[in-house]
Amino acid sequence: MELITIDKLSFGYGKQEVIRRLDASFIRGELSIILGRNGSGKSTLFQILSGVQTKYGGRVSINGVERRNIKRQRASEVRIGFMSQFHQTTFPFSVFDVVITGRASFTRFAPRAEDRQRVEDVLKQFNLWSYKDRPYTQLSGGERQLVLLCRVLVQDPDIILLDEPTNHLDLHYQVKVLENLKRLAADGITIVCIMHDPNLAFLYGERLFLMQHKQLRSLSGLSVGEIHHMLEEAYQVRLEAIQHGDKNLIVPYIAASP
Amino acid sequence: MQVWKICLLIIVPFVVLLLSLGLGSTGFVSIPDLLYYIYAACASELGIEMVVADHNLETILWQVRLPRILLTFMVGAALAVAGGVLQAVFRNPIVDPFSLGISSGAAFGAALSMLISLIPLNLSAFVFGVIAVVITYLVSYTGAKGSLVTMVLAGMIISGVFTAFLTVLQYLSDPYKLQSIVQWTMGNLHTASWAKVRTAVIPVTIGIAIILALRWKLDLLALGEQEAIAVGVDPKIIKLVMIGAATMITASSVAAVGMISLFGLIVPHISRMLVGPSNASGVWANILIGGTFLLLIDDLSRTLLPFEIPVGVFTMMLGTPLFIYLMRKNAINWNA
Repeated sequence: MELITIDKLSFGYGKQEVIRRLDASFIRGELSIILGRNGSGKSTLFQILSGVQTKYGGRVSINGVERRNIKRQRASEVRIGFMSQFHQTTFPFSVFDVVITGRASFTRFAPRAEDRQRVEDVLKQFNLWSYKDRPYTQLSGGERQLVLLCRVLVQDPDIILLDEPTNHLDLHYQVKVLENLKRLAADGITIVCIMHDPNLAFLYGERLFLMQHKQLRSLSGLSVGEIHHMLEEAYQVRLEAIQHGDKNLIVPYIAASP
Repeated sequence: MQVWKICLLIIVPFVVLLLSLGLGSTGFVSIPDLLYYIYAACASELGIEMVVADHNLETILWQVRLPRILLTFMVGAALAVAGGVLQAVFRNPIVDPFSLGISSGAAFGAALSMLISLIPLNLSAFVFGVIAVVITYLVSYTGAKGSLVTMVLAGMIISGVFTAFLTVLQYLSDPYKLQSIVQWTMGNLHTASWAKVRTAVIPVTIGIAIILALRWKLDLLALGEQEAIAVGVDPKIIKLVMIGAATMITASSVAAVGMISLFGLIVPHISRMLVGPSNASGVWANILIGGTFLLLIDDLSRTLLPFEIPVGVFTMMLGTPLFIYLMRKNAINWNA
């Protein structure tokens, strides 16, 4: 079932058009991955979906409700959590304090016991409970990313939007984050994720999209050859396909040395 | 937080309050004597007359020292809380009511009301405090995100503008009023009276109560606007309420005792060192530490030299090395 439907979405910064009449839909309980080059408009699309950017043309409806009209509160039918690409914090809050702010929409004043319990559950689920008193600012990039993911998760979202969650992470954390995302999708959460590495996308994504020419094109259902061709055109490099089990991966084509 | 820290935070203010009541230009009153006077005063409230050795001292204690101590504590708490709130809301450890221009705006408003006396002093201080912080925010807001540096620079400029206006008022006013305006700009705790306590207590209490009630949201604001939207909270209203409350308590303090510079910057840092960065406990710590610390500073400024050192001068001298220390320690994240 389609949870997010985008219909003829257009957006530009001033005169510079970034998205033109984009159509797409994301299925409930699936891990969808958006690929594309730097500056192709992925992050702009992310901002529109997350509700930060509201001055767009066309329709973006989530569970049948226009994105602009979704109120930010817990009573709203569909809760959307997102994790943007850059986050800097000035104050060395403890991991627990950072994560519990994820429950802010549930209480008007002080967090209740159930809010603390939820934070404990999620942190334990990610093996981060021993980190709870550590200053967030002293964590490594990977740990920080996981803590922010926990923060988004404690609000029990129906939809999670992620902008390059594996950026800056080593292989260990890349796999860890993606496996967790896959598990969350299996639990029924709809996940839309922007990524740079096509192979990780092939390995973990259930539905792939390519952002190109101000449009979002679905790669699902296309033949290996067509995907290969589209990626070569998008990234402007020659690629070589590799068969890996039932998945097809790609590597850059390197000419044999003479 | 450890229990001993909580106990310390609650006990020390009472000790300092008593100590400050004992200190003064008429000589030190010992703690047992003081307790006796307090006991006698409470008793006379209940209709029991007790023998009091020195009626002069009694008058000094109740009419001079006590209002001054209460006002000092209140102003110290107010400025510290306002500083902590503004640092969280603007995600910036080097802002305070002074560096954002609120204090200068409020001082101008207060002076204006002293000269023209069309609007009440408190209201005028508040209105111009709000105007100053709004201009600072608008000037430093550059669309995508205002950076720390631009905000502090904007605050400095706006502060300068209002100080210039204040100078014009000083130039225009007669010598008698000039004197009180000049004292305003240096912080004048020695003019404390019960009347001033009564005027300041209502807005300060309301403002601090609002901040206390919403203090759990401060950490969320300190993580940034996007991060608040990311977990389904619209930060705009909480932000406005917080800035409004901080401005109200700052303006009331400035209206009561004048400008006490950098105090709102220093205390939140001390609080964070003691109770950690979380704002939920930080607001309480700021109230207690802010009040106590300003009392101590006032005690020093009263007793250190034969004459009183204006308290604003004192806090400026204390704040400058701290500011330099924070800068050297790289505690300030200039890129946020």
